[in-house]
Amino acid sequence: MENTTTTSTKKVVEADVKKPRLTAAEFTKEFKRQWVLVAISVAYVIYGIIFYYLPLVGWLMAFQNFVYADGLTGSKWVGLDKFKFLFSDKTFIMVIRNTFAMGVLNLVFSTVFAIGFAILLNEVRNKYFKKTIQTISYLPHFLSWIIVVAIVHDALTSTGVINEILMTLKIVDKPYPFLQKEGWFWPIVTFSHLWKETGWNAIIYLAAITSIDPCLYESASIDGAGRFQKIKYVTLPGIRPTIMILLLMNLGNVLNAGFEIQYLLGNDLVRDVSRTIDIYILDWALDGRNMDYSLGTAAGIFKTVVAMTFIIVSNYIAKKRGDERLF
Amino acid sequence: MKTKKIVSLVLASMLVVSSFTACAGGKSGNGIVDMTMFAAMAGKEKDEGNEIKELIAQKTGVRVKESWLTGQNAGEAIGSIIASGKLPDFIDGGDGSIQLYQNKLLVAWDPYLEKYPNLKEMYTAEEWDKFRQDDGKIYWANVFGNHYKDDTTTGHNGEAFWIQARVLEAYGYPKIETLDQYFEILEKYAKENPTLPNGTKVIPYTCLCEDWKYYCLENAPMFLDGYPNDGCVIVNIDEGADKPKVVDYNTTDTAKAYFKKLNEEYAKGNIDPDFAVQTYDEYISKLSTGAVLGLCDQYWDFAYNIMGPFASPLKASDGSQFRLDELGCDYVPLGLTAKAGMENQWHSYGDELNNASGCAVTTACKDPELAFKFLNSLLDQEIHDLRFWGVKDVDYKVDDKGCYYRTEEMRENWKSDSYKAKHSCEYSYMPQWMGMSKDGKNYMQPAEQPAEFLAGLAAPLKKCFEAYGAGNYADMVGSKYVVTETALPWYPLWSWSNGVSTDTPGGTAWKKMGEVKHKWLPAIVISKDFEADWAAYMDAYKGCNPQDFLTEAQAEVDARLKTAQSHGWKPAA
Repeated sequence: MENTTTTSTKKVVEADVKKPRLTAAEFTKEFKRQWVLVAISVAYVIYGIIFYYLPLVGWLMAFQNFVYADGLTGSKWVGLDKFKFLFSDKTFIMVIRNTFAMGVLNLVFSTVFAIGFAILLNEVRNKYFKKTIQTISYLPHFLSWIIVVAIVHDALTSTGVINEILMTLKIVDKPYPFLQKEGWFWPIVTFSHLWKETGWNAIIYLAAITSIDPCLYESASIDGAGRFQKIKYVTLPGIRPTIMILLLMNLGNVLNAGFEIQYLLGNDLVRDVSRTIDIYILDWALDGRNMDYSLGTAAGIFKTVVAMTFIIVSNYIAKKRGDERLF
Repeated sequence: MKTKKIVSLVLASMLVVSSFTACAGGKSGNGIVDMTMFAAMAGKEKDEGNEIKELIAQKTGVRVKESWLTGQNAGEAIGSIIASGKLPDFIDGGDGSIQLYQNKLLVAWDPYLEKYPNLKEMYTAEEWDKFRQDDGKIYWANVFGNHYKDDTTTGHNGEAFWIQARVLEAYGYPKIETLDQYFEILEKYAKENPTLPNGTKVIPYTCLCEDWKYYCLENAPMFLDGYPNDGCVIVNIDEGADKPKVVDYNTTDTAKAYFKKLNEEYAKGNIDPDFAVQTYDEYISKLSTGAVLGLCDQYWDFAYNIMGPFASPLKASDGSQFRLDELGCDYVPLGLTAKAGMENQWHSYGDELNNASGCAVTTACKDPELAFKFLNSLLDQEIHDLRFWGVKDVDYKVDDKGCYYRTEEMRENWKSDSYKAKHSCEYSYMPQWMGMSKDGKNYMQPAEQPAEFLAGLAAPLKKCFEAYGAGNYADMVGSKYVVTETALPWYPLWSWSNGVSTDTPGGTAWKKMGEVKHKWLPAIVISKDFEADWAAYMDAYKGCNPQDFLTEAQAEVDARLKTAQSHGWKPAA
């Protein structure tokens, strides 16, 4: 604990005065000046240790045949058996594919749509109209997935609004069974994400756009740039660092393609494309009929390792290209 | 400046402190202890301050708050309870019960059984033995289907193909024995009566196939072949009840014919196009509209949830009022078989002992002594009456012979969901009796009191029973009279298969078979090329090594038979 305190203090000091080393007297002086900041950061360090680092002890379960009643110390060690089972299980390979596919679709579409929406919104002149649209668009973010799924599900059943419209327009003569078709599942999930999150995701880009120096736009106008040229040469480059940072952070989340929506919207007919790693973990680790915590933990470790690799690799690439990066 | 610093310090320390503290439970006043119960089943919450719950609390000193599954399935719910360590005082773990035991989270009943006669009386010594786990102790007692003295069942709690009484009435109550006849009148009726008075479009047939409740789709071939609900296999006793042979019902000709029939009906538009994608909640709300003419399910799974909506007035398109039960939308069970004239066993007579799950007290209960005392008191006739009959003169009256009866208004009250939430308190997953009341005049539960049962039926339903010469639901199914408990000592085998774990080859096969069937059964119903898909399904099914499972099932049947024989069981002559 002592150590952490000193390190964080040091960081603050370094950032403040950019001096590599401090004498003891200087340190005490700095500490006195900044003790409130230190106290506040200590709280977060403790929080982080308790909630992010201590639970990692549980990873040991992946190498055991964990039995709840025997605990971590009493359970039998089985080495890499659980991982071997995982990678020989066809279902696991299938859920990895599903998770990747939905994660990537999600990342690509939500980024593109959020940026596009933010730019469109930025171009709106009428301030009142702009605010109204913005508020309406981010409201769905506050709905829980169970509500969103209920709406999507209702809309897509044979008597739902989508089929009603298609039938009224004579595009189909019989209700189209969207939810029964494997091919439709990923698009429906991606669409639901877009519907729910585009408005919310756009906020951060909108904020980034606002912080672009207006002089740049003015000089662009003087140079004869039109609206589209201003977007292309001023707005987009202006928010490029934001885009890069968010993209990097979200890459780590690709395997968090979701649990709730797939769990709630999926059904037996589309289970081959709907189940994600999280559902697999739930099924093996927490379902009272299997209760294999070890296998669930192993799958969880796999997920974390992949996410870490993603972030590190993409960060490295960003660094090479001289773009904005995380670390 | 100084104050600001202090304020921020205080806030920071509060943050730290708040991450350590957890909330602690409390006791309410006047000596009543509050306890909690979780049942891994769908159910309805009772209102705070429920009237009969308070009465019971005053008499027993215990008030139990019950909670139910919300969205997740039973296994997941129990799994997360175990993982989080947040246990209620009482629990019915359903399929997850065995996990609760293996994780040493339950309190053994044994010392308390000796102390509390009401509890001990629930089962005979031989029956209690069936509940013993491998450590020789009893951790739960199933509370259902247990009759005090005689079997007085009027209901059919099990599975059947159900049909709305009005459909049968429209065609002069024909004899329906096969799936062909069943779908024929469903189709005909739906064509002639496409909507309800309020404009809702009828659905000839729907079928739930969500999670483990896909039995609605899955296990009919077992019944169609005339066997009782062993749930996972057919147990063939052609060579005598002492030489039972396990048979897989998934691959029989009957199974193929059944799914082919569903496939044809789906293509004709007689099966709900959303059947494969509906959730249990959607299924119940669909049934509640009265639109569904036929379905295959077990009574308890749907009937209690639709009673309320069926008894409440609805507005027709022409402005008049109507009620679904008066219209004849109530469901009656049909004991269909593969061929006409076969005997069926959709209804099993006598008590059905499910040793796989039941009411249990957890190690989190601070006062197990009180918990068991409470369970014992629940079986006192006075409190049992409060639970199932209600308050005298409010919920039932007593005639000069001492027989309980209800007025029309009381009956309506007990059909209303809001009335029940505020007033009645059945503690429905805690020990209870069916059959004759201890006073020898009345019945433990109103639905079993013959006069009350008949009076409680809507007119079209009563007319239907009379037309078929059936006194009650069980007669309507018309099953062969087999007292399964004594005739088939391994019955019901699902009490074993529901609890098999993936530790054995048979258990792994069972899990894989389930996954394959979950995926393929709805797929072959909606298939455009039945033969090809059936063949593909059979290939996938064989890939699960079902033989491993069948071998273990046979071993379990033999073991149960052996236990019964050691208690002196002999096949009926």
